[in-house]
Amino acid sequence: MKSIRRCQHIMTLFLLAFIAGIVALTVRINKQAPFYMSHSENYKLGNVYDRNGDVLFDGSGNGDYPNNHFIDVGNLIGDDKGQMENTLVAQNLDSLNNYSFNSGLVKKGGKAAIYTTLDHKANRAAYDAFMGADGCAVAYNYKTGELLVCTSLPNIDPSKGYAGLENMKSGTLMQKAMYRTVPGSTQKVSTVISAMEIMGQSALFSKKFSCSGYYINKSDGKIDCHNTWGHGEQNIQQAVENSCNPFFAQLVEDSDLPLDRVKEMYTKLGYAVSDDETEAEVGYIDIDGIQCEKASTKLTDPSDFSTQWGCIGQGKTLVSPVQLMMWQSAIANETGKMTMPHLIEHVTDVNGKTVDTAETSYSDKLFSASTASAVKQILMTNGANHYQYSIPGYNVAIKSGTAQVKDGAEENALLVGFVDDTKNPIAFCVVLENKYSTPAVAENIVTTMLNSLCS
Amino acid sequence: MGSMNLILCAAAAAALDICALVLILASYSERRSERKAWSKISADMELADQNRSYALECDEILIGRHASADIRLPDMSVSRYHAMLNVTDGKWTITDIGSKSGIYVNGVHVQHVRLYDNDIITLGNRRLIFRKRRERN
Amino acid sequence: MSNPVSYFFSCVFVIIAHGAMLFNVFQNGNYESVNDVITLCTAVIGLDAAYFIVMPFFKQRTYAVDFMLLLILNMSNIFQSCFGGVHLDLKHFITGIAALVSCRIGCIACRNHRWIQDKKKFVWVGIGVLMIVIFLFCGSRSMWIDLGFMTIQPSEFIKPLLVLACATSISEQQNKHKVLGFNVVYENLILFGIVAAVILFQWWCRDLGSIPTFAAIYASGFLLRICYPKAKFSKKTLIIAGSCVAAAGIVAVILAPPYVKDRLFVDIWNDDVNGYQQTKALIGIAEGGWFGKGPGEGFLHNVVAYESDIVFSTICEEWGLLYALMTALMLLVIVAMPLVNPPRSYYHATMCAGVCAAFTVQMALNIFGSCNMIPFTGVTIPFISAGGSSMVASGLMIGMIAAAQSPVFKNPKPKKSRKQAKRRTS
Repeated sequence: MKSIRRCQHIMTLFLLAFIAGIVALTVRINKQAPFYMSHSENYKLGNVYDRNGDVLFDGSGNGDYPNNHFIDVGNLIGDDKGQMENTLVAQNLDSLNNYSFNSGLVKKGGKAAIYTTLDHKANRAAYDAFMGADGCAVAYNYKTGELLVCTSLPNIDPSKGYAGLENMKSGTLMQKAMYRTVPGSTQKVSTVISAMEIMGQSALFSKKFSCSGYYINKSDGKIDCHNTWGHGEQNIQQAVENSCNPFFAQLVEDSDLPLDRVKEMYTKLGYAVSDDETEAEVGYIDIDGIQCEKASTKLTDPSDFSTQWGCIGQGKTLVSPVQLMMWQSAIANETGKMTMPHLIEHVTDVNGKTVDTAETSYSDKLFSASTASAVKQILMTNGANHYQYSIPGYNVAIKSGTAQVKDGAEENALLVGFVDDTKNPIAFCVVLENKYSTPAVAENIVTTMLNSLCS
Repeated sequence: MGSMNLILCAAAAAALDICALVLILASYSERRSERKAWSKISADMELADQNRSYALECDEILIGRHASADIRLPDMSVSRYHAMLNVTDGKWTITDIGSKSGIYVNGVHVQHVRLYDNDIITLGNRRLIFRKRRERN
Repeated sequence: MSNPVSYFFSCVFVIIAHGAMLFNVFQNGNYESVNDVITLCTAVIGLDAAYFIVMPFFKQRTYAVDFMLLLILNMSNIFQSCFGGVHLDLKHFITGIAALVSCRIGCIACRNHRWIQDKKKFVWVGIGVLMIVIFLFCGSRSMWIDLGFMTIQPSEFIKPLLVLACATSISEQQNKHKVLGFNVVYENLILFGIVAAVILFQWWCRDLGSIPTFAAIYASGFLLRICYPKAKFSKKTLIIAGSCVAAAGIVAVILAPPYVKDRLFVDIWNDDVNGYQQTKALIGIAEGGWFGKGPGEGFLHNVVAYESDIVFSTICEEWGLLYALMTALMLLVIVAMPLVNPPRSYYHATMCAGVCAAFTVQMALNIFGSCNMIPFTGVTIPFISAGGSSMVASGLMIGMIAAAQSPVFKNPKPKKSRKQAKRRTS
């Protein structure tokens, strides 16, 4: 009967509304349970391991480690306390979440973990080689993109807490390799690549400029060379080996190298190129959630003093060590494509099942393979001629740099390069801050790091 | 929690579900027996016109032209709510609920009257017969 | 008894379901001595058996609703007995028996809808008396009357009475009178007045949680009344009216006094005082997962109102979300019984709709409230939450559904009316 059925319809309406609510609730609980769980006292994070199974971060907080055990990786791996946001743990908390609603609270402790590509031993060795000086060292496998070493000083051991936070040196809580710094002469690598792409190899190799210790440019600016006696007339190979500033100033002024094309090329390489009118926005490279600043510079006019310095490595140019290292991979592989670095090898879930395995990825093609080969040759020659004693035992391609910071009050030493070896394809970048105030030497840091990685 | 306990938990939940299912099935079988009980209470009557017959399945039945009426007679001579059938103790009655054309049972205009087998009810132009339910094949 | 076979099978399966749960308690439960488990088993299975023996004496035609109720009550007994360690929760056990008794009372009282319809005036009076009792003994901030050995929550008993008041028959709706040119049924006006009074009274009591329940019971009654107003309420008007009500609700929320707003919008994760219960409840659900930690293994029994307001979470924690959802499902099945075996009179059907509305809204308020989907109000889940008043009131309501399943159609005995007539004359 219709009247009875009408009552039944109303009942059905109530029941369906409730069932819809229950379904929504179930979905919601499933989705948000990890968040609820993060407020529980029984909540324990998983561990972070290095490539050899060494603990880098103890999620349970139960482990007993000596003081400063994690000091070489502290500001890279970080923790869940919220003090350091741009760190592996902070950015990948979900993966460390030792909980899934489907299995409920695991009483014996779950097996969620992040297995990184880092080499804790080598990292530690590099850290120690700084002998307490500030700076950073980063190295990765340019074939696979595995980040092997990434340390910066000063650093912190997060497992021992954040006591005395206000007295810490600035930069303690940030992994310096991820942030921009003055590249010094290592910038010349980018300039050489750009010039070769724009002018062509033969034109660039035929260019000769002379250096008398300084150069007065077209706008009457004086570009000093670090060799006050001058280098005389040089070609590009010699200029790179001598790291001659006047040569590069004249190259930038040269009519065969239009600045618009240089800007284009720099942008392709990943620089945020500003000029008088526009301020370019700095982008980020994502390394498993960690944000690494991309390079930036300001180029206005080929004869402008600051623009020329910008192409030499001072001025407004800023590059992060990681990006310097990534360009080396494009050269080392002779493809013109950067190998993108990654830090996480694989991730396991609560039940120990591998869920996320890293794969090597490459950037877009930044420059031609022939340019890569030519630049590789220049850098290899430089390495062979100048570094075979300071970095013994390795067939390295290398470019050094000295960056003036704090208005010239301090000088940072930089070394970027790679080992040309199919067994140990390692690209690296070392920044040693205020190099005159420390007994540490950048070359030694590189040697120590390579020794530890290749042993 | 071990897998054994998990199975136990699931088994208990399943037992609960099966029990609910059995009770729902029991309710279904009750529905059948209730229908029998109802045919006793309602004296197993039905209302029929020349085209079709209407089962009388509850104790108050509205007859009218309106869509919400239990027995709908789509005829303009029938009021929207015309009459109501009622059953108590197996006795059916018909009541006029404010119709315009009135109710005639066996040709007599009535307001409220008890119905007997084979009574002919006239609502407007519609004629219905109140009779024992016939099994349809 | 019309079908002894289905009666027997129902008995067996109810016992199997309880047995499986008890075995689960025995295997996974947290208890100090096995005696506790044995006591619990004896109590639960004993109650089952006693019920099966007693039931046939009531000479009903249908039993499904009664068995469903027994299933739920003993489930609830097991749940409540396991919170924080296995032990028989005697108080809950006794209130459960009280609920069974009140279910019988409700069933017998409502089986003959003519009889109960005649008593509608007493229902109205009853609601009035309850409100006066609350007014006199509880005051504006409390909902409880403390009798020393037990506390009573009178507002719970308004619910079954309101369901009875909202139930109506078609003939009652045809009893119209002309007032100011409108055809009006007096009963509808009285009902509206009563509901308005109850809701305003609850507002004054700050018992905001039960307002939606009353509103839902009335809404079902209202919807089932306006079907017979000579076609003046088209679907369009209904939709407009509905949206007006919704808009009024939103405006009410916006204009609500601060103490209401505070309770409506609580950022539970950053509010240690107001959000404590809910955060603990949610953490409990998360820790329980699908299959729970095991009976008696939870920590939620340390949180206030674990056995009433956040009982869903406590079950989730110890038995798992699956079981908790199943419990909610059982309650849905029991109120959905009239869909399987339809009632034979409009009065019973409207009564069932009212009970269904009351149950679903109470469950929704409790479950969704404790899970922070809607504002948290201290409403109980019928039969699952501990609390005597709520158990007895819910038992009465389930009795109404049972009554609709095996109704009696007889005019009220003339003897009684003679007696009443005598009283009037004397």
